[in-house]
Amino acid sequence: MTAFIFRRLLISVVLLFFISLISFFIITLTPGSPYPWGELNPKVSEEVKRVFRAKFHLDRPLHEQYGFIMRDLFTGELRSIKDERPVLEKIAERLPATLVLNFGALALSLSFGLLLGVYGARHAGRPPDMITSVLAFVFIALPGFWVSYLLAIALVNYAAIPILGTHTIGVTFANGLEVFLDRWWHVMLPASILAIGGIAVQSRFIRASMIETLREDYIRTARAKGLDENAIFYRHALRNSVRPLITGIGMLLPALIGGAVIIENIFAYPGMGRLGYEAVLERDYPTLVALNFVTAALVLVGNLVADVLYAVVDPRVRLE
Amino acid sequence: MPRVRTLIVGIPLLLAVVTGVSLWTVARVSVDKKNEMYIGSIGEPTTLNPVQAADAASSSVTGMIFNGLLKYNADLEIVGDLAAEWDLSQRSTFFFATPEEAVVAAANMEAGIADRAELHLRRYMVEGNRLVLELSLPGVTDSQKLAEKFGVAPLPVHTVSVAAPQAMGDALEQFAAEDLASRAVRVWSNGNLGELVFLGNEVATLERLRVYLGSKFGEVGVLIEPVLAPPFLAEPEVTFQLHEGVRWHDGAPFTSRDVRFTYDAIMDDRVASPRKPDYELVLSVETPDEFTVRVVYRRPFSPALESWMMSVLPAHLLAGVAPDQWPLTFNRAPVGTGSFKFAEWKTNQFVRVVRNDDYFRGPPHLDGIVFRTLPDPLTLRLAFETRQVDFWAADPWAVGSFREDERFTVFTSPSNSYNYVGWNLRRPMFQDPLVRRALAHAVNIDQMIRYVLYGYGTQSTGIFTPEMWFFDPNVPPIPYDPERAKELLDEAGWAAGSDGIRVKDGQRFAFTLITNNGNVIRSDISTLVQENLRAVGIEVTVEMYEWAVFLKRFVNQGEFDAIVLGWALGQGFDQFQIWHSTQTEPERLNMVGYQSKEADRLLESIREEFDREKIIAMCGELQRLIYGDQPYLFLFVPEGTSVMWKDTFRVKRPGPDGRWIDEPVTMTKAGWSHYLEWFYRPEYAGEGGE
Amino acid sequence: MITTTPEPIELASASPAGRSLRRFRANKIGVFALGMVIVLGVVGLVFFILGQLGIPWPMDPNATNLERKLMPPNSVNWLGTDNLGRDVFSRLLNGAYISLTVGFVAVFVSLSIGVTVGAVAGYFGKWVDNLIMRVVDAIMCFPSFFLILTAVALVGPSIFNIIIVIGLVSWTGTARLVRAEFLTLRESAYVQAARALGQRGPKIIFRHILPNAAAPILVTAVLGVPEAILAEAGLSFLGFGVQPPQATWGNIIADGKTYILDAWWLILFPGLAILIAALSFYLTGDALRQAVETRSERQ
Repeated sequence: MTAFIFRRLLISVVLLFFISLISFFIITLTPGSPYPWGELNPKVSEEVKRVFRAKFHLDRPLHEQYGFIMRDLFTGELRSIKDERPVLEKIAERLPATLVLNFGALALSLSFGLLLGVYGARHAGRPPDMITSVLAFVFIALPGFWVSYLLAIALVNYAAIPILGTHTIGVTFANGLEVFLDRWWHVMLPASILAIGGIAVQSRFIRASMIETLREDYIRTARAKGLDENAIFYRHALRNSVRPLITGIGMLLPALIGGAVIIENIFAYPGMGRLGYEAVLERDYPTLVALNFVTAALVLVGNLVADVLYAVVDPRVRLE
Repeated sequence: MPRVRTLIVGIPLLLAVVTGVSLWTVARVSVDKKNEMYIGSIGEPTTLNPVQAADAASSSVTGMIFNGLLKYNADLEIVGDLAAEWDLSQRSTFFFATPEEAVVAAANMEAGIADRAELHLRRYMVEGNRLVLELSLPGVTDSQKLAEKFGVAPLPVHTVSVAAPQAMGDALEQFAAEDLASRAVRVWSNGNLGELVFLGNEVATLERLRVYLGSKFGEVGVLIEPVLAPPFLAEPEVTFQLHEGVRWHDGAPFTSRDVRFTYDAIMDDRVASPRKPDYELVLSVETPDEFTVRVVYRRPFSPALESWMMSVLPAHLLAGVAPDQWPLTFNRAPVGTGSFKFAEWKTNQFVRVVRNDDYFRGPPHLDGIVFRTLPDPLTLRLAFETRQVDFWAADPWAVGSFREDERFTVFTSPSNSYNYVGWNLRRPMFQDPLVRRALAHAVNIDQMIRYVLYGYGTQSTGIFTPEMWFFDPNVPPIPYDPERAKELLDEAGWAAGSDGIRVKDGQRFAFTLITNNGNVIRSDISTLVQENLRAVGIEVTVEMYEWAVFLKRFVNQGEFDAIVLGWALGQGFDQFQIWHSTQTEPERLNMVGYQSKEADRLLESIREEFDREKIIAMCGELQRLIYGDQPYLFLFVPEGTSVMWKDTFRVKRPGPDGRWIDEPVTMTKAGWSHYLEWFYRPEYAGEGGE
Repeated sequence: MITTTPEPIELASASPAGRSLRRFRANKIGVFALGMVIVLGVVGLVFFILGQLGIPWPMDPNATNLERKLMPPNSVNWLGTDNLGRDVFSRLLNGAYISLTVGFVAVFVSLSIGVTVGAVAGYFGKWVDNLIMRVVDAIMCFPSFFLILTAVALVGPSIFNIIIVIGLVSWTGTARLVRAEFLTLRESAYVQAARALGQRGPKIIFRHILPNAAAPILVTAVLGVPEAILAEAGLSFLGFGVQPPQATWGNIIADGKTYILDAWWLILFPGLAILIAALSFYLTGDALRQAVETRSERQ
């Protein structure tokens, strides 16, 4: 196990190197240059631009720029071009909001996915199953930005509630419960849109693997022994199907972080997606490279943990 | 396994129920609004340091926290802010061969002057071989007249301006010391710009300077522009008398030292400030005492006054801190002198400022202002409709429904911006003035204003907008007249080709019109221009690019046929950077490559003129000239439209007789951000600072 | 010398393809979805041809008519008009082929890369496999949305570029799947036999393994189309999509979102179009998967 983890970590380091390289070169090759003020600002003199470029090493060859960025990233000195704040600090202040949103989405997609999947599997081949199947595909096929707008407008029109940020600003709440509930729906509504696709994928996955497990020989044996159908279904089949979900969660991470851009924008949610999107538009190279790096590192660690957990849960799996 | 089953159904049910309950309560909870104002903006402030801020979101926040020496009042007149009084004058120095000659000249002048007031002469003195006159502005041309009255010839003064690729340091001073000895009367350097003024008019000295600078910086990039100056040195001065007793938010007193420090900070190379060019002609900033600031300019520069609306930084907090540390501390938690104090900044959510009870003009009524970042335009509107923000800069198509609604007040305000289609004058097809005239006739701007702006705009007649005091209202707009356009195109040699597109010398009249994506108005303009021009036999392809790509790859390189863009101008009349023929290189703002000797001359003289009437005359001439040349197809000046909930705010401000005036919110020429301190929420009336 | 390929022995009377077809036909939802896909394809093709011939039907999708701007659905403009008075219905029909082309061609691109990479990794195994799969991991670690965004900014927005970029970032899933198939299939008896007969790598890959992995690849392909369609819509929505005045479902929504509170039809209908198209492909793909799945044969 230790050897396995060690090797995976080693591979991860190599991977991270390539990831930083790719993200740096893609963004720097893209036309456009980073200026914290509008480029068509008649007041910015050539001298200011020159000093600014020198400060961020933008006047150096690309490979040197990359070197500077990586050096500063590891010493924690890396500053955003936009506001000259340390990039890691900028990422850290959004991380909690992003994690809360993504955990919300994850909780929704797992719980509702499980419900729909189990329901589908229980009624496999019959109309309820067909309905949940079609429903699942409708969920996958919905364009997220479109649903977000519809939801935002519907809420305003029918309930006069705008979803903005992480909590209502400018209002005094009576007690802690109200504060909690206020934060709760601010997270859960955007999360539910993020979760729509996840619910569908999870429910399909669970349904398929449960149906498959139900055909296994040991289930037939159990059934032949006269075990209660419910017991077979929930104890044996379900337990076997839920395990692979753990690895699935690891795979979901990059999509969750990257895919939240539009939703974070519409709901004014202060997450990492917006940070990345703005960094792309502003050509804020340091922020973008650091963000990709941190995201990738999180994902790799997430995958590793998932694999190890999987091995712990399922003794049949051996880590090599 | 009922337990598992319960969980499978129970957990999603629980999530759904809690969410439902939370939505239900939020609709029922008695909304206890605070005594604050909520302002929404698409962009997040970048920095709260006014010296470094360049974006509107940052400026609207810093405007509440800081004060400048001067400000605009409701009618866009310049009035004092931190400065109680100010005074403009000019020192003109004449040089003579001997002190005796200077005395004789002074006597001659005294005899020749009939009316000092007419000549704006305040006093004069003889200092060695110099005769120094102190004039109130405008006084430039008058001192030339004076020179004629001397009867003794003043020595000629030679001014050499230098621009070097690297900072010049003391290269100029060294040269002056070694070569010119006592004949150098002024050595001035500021970053890459330098100026040497010496007595006499020797070609040999100039040549030596050229060689010297060449050896210092290399031949490339060293630019020497010898200017035979009028026979005197004219140095305009602005003297500010500061308010006493003003305190920073942390209690420290505000003094002239802070003003001096702010100037130094802007000019510091380590501070990337977009305001540097405003102060490039400043010769010195002196602080004779705690509450006096004297700024001397090296030559007349009429936009100078406006530059002192710049917010003043606290020297006692920043002087000891290296500028690269500012973004970590001060820029995120600024300390100013303004009516509101900084309170908190939640990144990507909001910035909150709270009332400054010690404000030197008296505390504002509101407890605070919250500037919210709402990145999506639709979200911004929804936030306004649900009272999460108090104002909305309404889109033109939505204004109509708010106007009809009793609950809202709609304000329209003229903007200082205009939209245009810029023709790349480096392209042969756009070089013919007849063709550009034809293009102007071919596009239906009325229709654009009616249907794209819903009537909230007027046709643009050139580089200035109607609200500017130097705008010439007598420039007739070029009317929509497709028939005339066709005639002009025929006349220019573009004949209709077989496919309906005009051809000249085998080349089809087809070009690409580009703009940035994500701007509805610009995209509509592009489509309509495309349609209008197709009707007169011109083929237009429209392309839209991301803003950064659009600028870097096309606009800044001059690599385009035509662009749709807009200028948002300040109140200044100086458009040197946009139209002067020296500004056509890549990365400069004369992107279309407009070159006109006549325009150059006007642009240069406007900068040095202080006389209001003359400025109006010259600006009018410039506006007519450029509108006639049509380097842009000038489209329209949009009106700003904003909406407010009628019952949210009223204004209670001190009137001229010292009594409070209580009135509804009104829109002034300067908008309303300059008097937010007097806004109050009626439900909180009686509380707060009075 | 024997050169013919030994076929896997078939005991049942019908071919596997025949059986799959029968199973597909029995799936009513699948058949209906396939019908929708065909209808969409025909609509796309017909209106593409009409557009090329310059026949404006039902209306010229790009003709502005400012007097009739932002009209709600009515007898002339069945689905209303947009902010420049263009007919939304015509624009929807005219935009269909863009979405479909992006879907199909992007999938073709991603399949070509994915299958090749997966096949090479799966067939050769060992360090080749290890290297390739690590690269695949690296690419999967990126938030693909940023990758697409920056890549489009890099090459500029055009239909062609968008197709290529979407194809280039979406092949990793296919590669993993094909690799897995290959790892199983290369140990199978007939591949071992072919190898024993002295056949070489490429031939084994293309003649023996690939045809047997065709079914799952086909399913991935069909399921990849709606993903590409949704990706294009998302890009257009952010303004990185196909250039105006050419209508696409994504950019009708993008242009319409500004007027969303005043003109609901501008975003409702194109959104529904995307939903229906994506759903049809997903359901078809799912039905296909069920039909070719070998495990279910045991039932």
